Amino acid sequence: MRLLLVEDDVMIGAGVRAGLRQDGYVVDWVHDGVAAEAALDTEQGYALVLLDLGLPRKDGLALLESLRRRRNRVPVLVITARDAVNDRVRGLDLGADDYLVKPFELHELAARIRAVLRRHAGRAEPLVEFGEFRLDPSARKVFYQGRAVSVSGREFSLLQALLDRPGQTLSRAQLEERLYGWGEEIASNAVEVHVHNLRRKLGERAIRTVRGFGYVIGEAEAACRSGASSS
Amino acid sequence: MSIRRQLLVALLLALLATGIGASGATWFAVRKAANDLFDYHLEQMALSLADQTLATPAQAAVPLGQDYVVQIWDATGVLVYISRAGAPLPLLRGGFGSVSLEGNEWRVFTLHTPDRAIQVAAPADLRSGRATAVALRTLLPILASIPLYGFLIWLIVGQGLRPLTEIAGAIRRRDPASLDPLPERPMPEEVAPMVSELNALLARLREALDKQKRFTADAAHELRSPLTALQIQLDMLARARSADETRDAVDGLRAGVKRAGRLVEQLLTMARLEPQSQANPVPVALDQLLTEVATELEPLAEARRVQLRLSRLEHATIRGEPQGLHALVRNLIDNAVRYTPTGGEVRLALFRDGGAAAVVVEDTGPGIPAADRTRVFDRFFRLPGASAEGSGLGLAIVRQVADAHGATVELGDGEAGRGLRVTVRFEVI
Repeated sequence: MRLLLVEDDVMIGAGVRAGLRQDGYVVDWVHDGVAAEAALDTEQGYALVLLDLGLPRKDGLALLESLRRRRNRVPVLVITARDAVNDRVRGLDLGADDYLVKPFELHELAARIRAVLRRHAGRAEPLVEFGEFRLDPSARKVFYQGRAVSVSGREFSLLQALLDRPGQTLSRAQLEERLYGWGEEIASNAVEVHVHNLRRKLGERAIRTVRGFGYVIGEAEAACRSGASSS
Repeated sequence: MSIRRQLLVALLLALLATGIGASGATWFAVRKAANDLFDYHLEQMALSLADQTLATPAQAAVPLGQDYVVQIWDATGVLVYISRAGAPLPLLRGGFGSVSLEGNEWRVFTLHTPDRAIQVAAPADLRSGRATAVALRTLLPILASIPLYGFLIWLIVGQGLRPLTEIAGAIRRRDPASLDPLPERPMPEEVAPMVSELNALLARLREALDKQKRFTADAAHELRSPLTALQIQLDMLARARSADETRDAVDGLRAGVKRAGRLVEQLLTMARLEPQSQANPVPVALDQLLTEVATELEPLAEARRVQLRLSRLEHATIRGEPQGLHALVRNLIDNAVRYTPTGGEVRLALFRDGGAAAVVVEDTGPGIPAADRTRVFDRFFRLPGASAEGSGLGLAIVRQVADAHGATVELGDGEAGRGLRVTVRFEVI
């Protein structure tokens, strides 16, 4: 799962990125508002934006406002030192999904990220359940047909992406976007390799291939349209 | 001491003194007038006796009261008549004179005619007695009116001091935390300046307090960043699974603590500078100061492989506050060293420039874009992408000290358009 971290403080940014990477997230880190805007304009695969407010070049709130004005619905979790109630209200009213005041602990940040992602996917329960699948994002555990399956970080992310909206077909490019950050070396068949490994652990029919478009879990509803519109 | 009581006592004493003075003057004037009148009487009486052909005043038509004595002497000096029993007054030369007889003072008029001498006398104290009575009559009404005057003075002074009492009441009733100005209603011109001065003082206090509050809030806010970094590194340490991860987290913690320490140090420097803008200036040798700070920062420069060079050092002494000036120079050089990449150079110079002494610190770092050269002096302003080490206070401290010393700070490009050149110009004594 790929996150955009917008933080101008080098120490905090590096720490958050390292911590979230350990949790299996792919983190792209930018240092100012303008760079964040550029990243959000060019990349579609962010599951969530971690946004500091006191940013150089373009303030976090201004960035949030323009993001929502352009109908970008990516979940935004504000992390900031501004703790006045007015600031928080303003941030939430401008379209932030949650607000975390510095200093915070990494596991609280991770929990809030999971909560925002859950709400964004339209779920209230912490586990992702679909068909024979059961995913526990906080423990990063997968259960299939009632038994625990051990998967790697990327494999988990791939399953999570496909289960985010079951029935939606995701192309190889879309999956790559969600699984890999900037500057990461991606082998041309990386997605195929992950899918192959997952099928080996879960069974051939767990993930279906939609020929010419990509991969899907469950019945491929409107696969053609969604596949065509995003490529 | 109450102004009211003071005025009451002073005014009543003045009144009493005036009354006593007036009575004294009256006494003298009355006595003089009485003397003249009595003397005239004595003379007239003597003259009228001289005109009488009768031998004895017994037959004369001169009314003699108890107070008058008449003595008549013949040409041979024999007392032929005396109007009372007892010892006679001695015969004097012609005209007025005074005689003491049996303990009584007598005023005497003596008239010598060819065939006799006539003397008319009256006791002297009679005259003073009259004068005293008249003088007392002048003083009495004044004495009698003193209580009334006292009462009136008490009321009038109280009325006059009322604006002061009201202001005191207004101040007493205030919320102790309030620094709002006192109401400036129409007021006597003696009191108005006090109220407006008080209000000006309150305004200055409020401004200083607001500034302090803002500073505290900013400082607390700024401390959040290093604390956040520390918290994250601590979490990383707790979940570290390998020796490498542990070492990274510990390094991160160390850097975070260092950063927080530096920020606190800078905040303290800034807080200490605040009240010292009015401190007594003393002569400070800038060349000595520059050498001293350069020596202090040499280890830092060495650790960062930055060459610290004193390119020019002239003698210059200014008037100033040594601690503040030390903080200024230290922040300038410290900034230059920190922002200069490894292998770079920081050049220091001090030279006389007319009536000014110029301290120049030049580095080969990234410099400051012209657009940001005003804002870098703001508290807690950090350039985008600047290293996390900076507290954002360095140049704010420089500006504050410079302002307190009437010095100017100029930011420019370094040599060959690279790096940053900071020039601080002081007035030399």
